[in-house]
Amino acid sequence: MLKRVLVANRGEIACRILRACREAEIEGVAIFAANDSGTLFTELADISIQLDGEGLAETYLNQQQIIEIAQQNGCDSIHPGFGFLSERADFAQAVIDAGLIWIGPSPTAITQMGDKMTARITMRAAGVPVIPGEEVEGGLEQVLALAPSVGYPLLLKATSGGGGKGMRAVHDAADLESEAKAAMREALNAFGDDRIYIERLLVGSRHIEIQILADQHGRTIHLGERECSVQRRHQKVFEESPSIALDSELREQMGEAACEAARAVSFEGAGTVEFLLTPKGEFFFLEMNTRIQVEHPVTEMVTGVDLVREQLRIAAGEPMSCGPLSMRGHAIEVRLYAEDPANNFLPAIGKLQIFKPPTGPGVRFDTGVRQGDEVTPNYDPMLAKLIVWAPSREEALLRMGRALDEFVVLGCVTNIRFLRELCDHKDVVDGWTTTDMIDRLWPDGWAPDQNSIITDAGLLIASSCEAAGFGKQLSTKSSEHISPFTTLNRRFP
Amino acid sequence: MEFNTVDGVVEIEPQRDGSTFSSNGMLLEVGSDLWLEIDGRKYKAHATKVGDVWWVHIQGHTMRFELIEPGAAGADDDGGMVAPMPGKILEVMAEVGQEVKTGQTLMIMEAMKMEHKITANQDGIIQEILFQVGDQVEQGAQLLNIE
Repeated sequence: MLKRVLVANRGEIACRILRACREAEIEGVAIFAANDSGTLFTELADISIQLDGEGLAETYLNQQQIIEIAQQNGCDSIHPGFGFLSERADFAQAVIDAGLIWIGPSPTAITQMGDKMTARITMRAAGVPVIPGEEVEGGLEQVLALAPSVGYPLLLKATSGGGGKGMRAVHDAADLESEAKAAMREALNAFGDDRIYIERLLVGSRHIEIQILADQHGRTIHLGERECSVQRRHQKVFEESPSIALDSELREQMGEAACEAARAVSFEGAGTVEFLLTPKGEFFFLEMNTRIQVEHPVTEMVTGVDLVREQLRIAAGEPMSCGPLSMRGHAIEVRLYAEDPANNFLPAIGKLQIFKPPTGPGVRFDTGVRQGDEVTPNYDPMLAKLIVWAPSREEALLRMGRALDEFVVLGCVTNIRFLRELCDHKDVVDGWTTTDMIDRLWPDGWAPDQNSIITDAGLLIASSCEAAGFGKQLSTKSSEHISPFTTLNRRFP
Repeated sequence: MEFNTVDGVVEIEPQRDGSTFSSNGMLLEVGSDLWLEIDGRKYKAHATKVGDVWWVHIQGHTMRFELIEPGAAGADDDGGMVAPMPGKILEVMAEVGQEVKTGQTLMIMEAMKMEHKITANQDGIIQEILFQVGDQVEQGAQLLNIE
C-alpha cells in the first residue's frame, strides 16, 4: 500500500487524484506554482508545496525540482495526472531511479506508445489494424513529396504530440506547405520535436476509445468504450459511454484488440486505446494514451469502477479490485472551457465573479476552480467537467440539458451555451456524432440561438441593475443584517 | 442609457416603480436577488458588473452588455487590429507600406499554446506595425494600423 503520493499536476485532475488518495487513506502532496497559490487543489492536499520559478518549464515541467520535493517530503510515489509530465518516459525513469513508485506504465511502454511512428509499427506487428498513412523523417520537403501518395483530405500530426497541438487538417494541396510549417512549428514549441506524420483523414468516422486496466498479476482487462467524436480543433468537448455505434459483439472485438495493444507493450496501470470507427464498421488504431484520461469519469459512471483508485492499487502491486465488465445506463461528459464558441472558440480570461455549478440527481461535477477564481492565460482553458448519468442515452441528454441550464458562470466567457445547444441538436440526439460534426453543423461558425425575448430581458436586467446600483447594494448589504449568532454571546456546538 | 451589444448600440430606459423595473411588458424585481416576470411567470436571473460590462444570466442564456458612459469616446477602432488575447507574436508577415487585402494574414500569434492568425480587417496600406517577433502582447493591444 502506498503511504504518501505526490501529485505532479494542477487544477481539476489534481483535485480528482487528491480526493482519491484521501478516500484510500493515503496522504496526498500537492505542488503548485506561485500563480496557483490558494486554488482548490492546494487545499485538498495533506501537504502543499510551492514550486520555485516561473513558467511551465521551471515549475510543473521541472522534473528535478519535483523529484526533490517528493524525496524531501517523504513521498513514496508520484502520480502525474494527464498532460504535463504524464507521458514523459524520461521522467518516469527518473522517478524510478530516485527510488520512488511511478503511478503509470513502464518508461519502455510510454516510449513505445508515445512515439506515434513506433506505436504504428508495434501495433501492426501485434496484428492491430492501423490507419493508412506515411511516416515522415525528412522534414518539410519529404512532407510535400509524400502527401500525394496519401491523398486528400489528409491530417498532419506531431509525431510526439497530443491534445490537438501540432495537428492540421489539409483539404487542398495549395494549403499543404503553410499548414505543414505551422504544424511543425507548433510541434516544436509544444513538444521540442518538429517531426510530423501524414495520414489519410477518414471523413465521417467516429472516435471510439477503449479503457484498459492492467495489473502486475498478469490481468489485462477492458472497461468498454467511450465515444468522443464531438471535437473542435481536434479537442474533445462531449464524451459518452456506451457508444450507440457499438453492439456487444463489436465491443468485444475492439476491447480484445485494445487488450492486445496493451499486452504488446507489457502495459501496466490505466490506459486508453483510441480507434477510428468508419461508417462501414472497420476500426483502426489511432494511438494509446498511457495515462488517466480527461474523460475517464464516463467510464466510471457506467462501470462503477473507480479508475484512479485502481491506479493506486496497481502501482502498489495489489491486484485490481474490479470484477467482470458490467455496464449500466448511460453517461455523458462535457468539458467546460474558458473560450468563446461564437468567436472561433478563442480562449477567454476573466474573473469567475459568479460560478454556480448544477447539482441534483445523477450529476457529477469535477472542477479545479470555484467562484472568485481568476482565469488566466497561463494554463489550459479547461476549467471543469460536468458529467451526468441516467438509465438511458435519451434521459442522459435531457439531464445534461437541465444541468447546463442551471449552470451560471459570469465574468469569463465559457462554452456552456454551445454545449447546451449541442445536446439539443438533432444529430446528437439521433447519435450521428462524427469527428467532423462541429464544422458540418456550423460551417460558418457557431452563434447562440437566442430569441429577441431573451435579449430584451437581458437588456432590462442590465439597465435596471445599473439604475438600481445592484452590485454596490450587495456589497454593503452584509452590514444591514446582523446575524443572531454574532449578537448572542455564546457558541453553538 | 446606451449599451454596446452584439447587435450594435441599443438604447433602453426602463420604467421604475420602487424596486420594480419594467420594459416591453416585462417586469424585473431588483432586491437581494433578481426576479424577472414575463406573462405572469417568474424566472430567477443573475447579473454582475465587471468594468463597464454587465454580465447577465437568464434561463440558460448568458449575455454581455457594455455600458456606454455618457460623453465617452465611441468605440472607433477603424484600421487598428488588436490582439484577441494575451500571447506572443510568432511571425510578422507584412511590412510598413505594403498594400494588403481584407482577410490577408498579417501576423501569427501564439496564445494558450495555440496559433492564431491576425488578418487584415480592411483593404489598404500598412501604416504601422507595433510589435516584432517574440514580443509579448496584452489582450486588446493594437498590433497594426491600416489605412
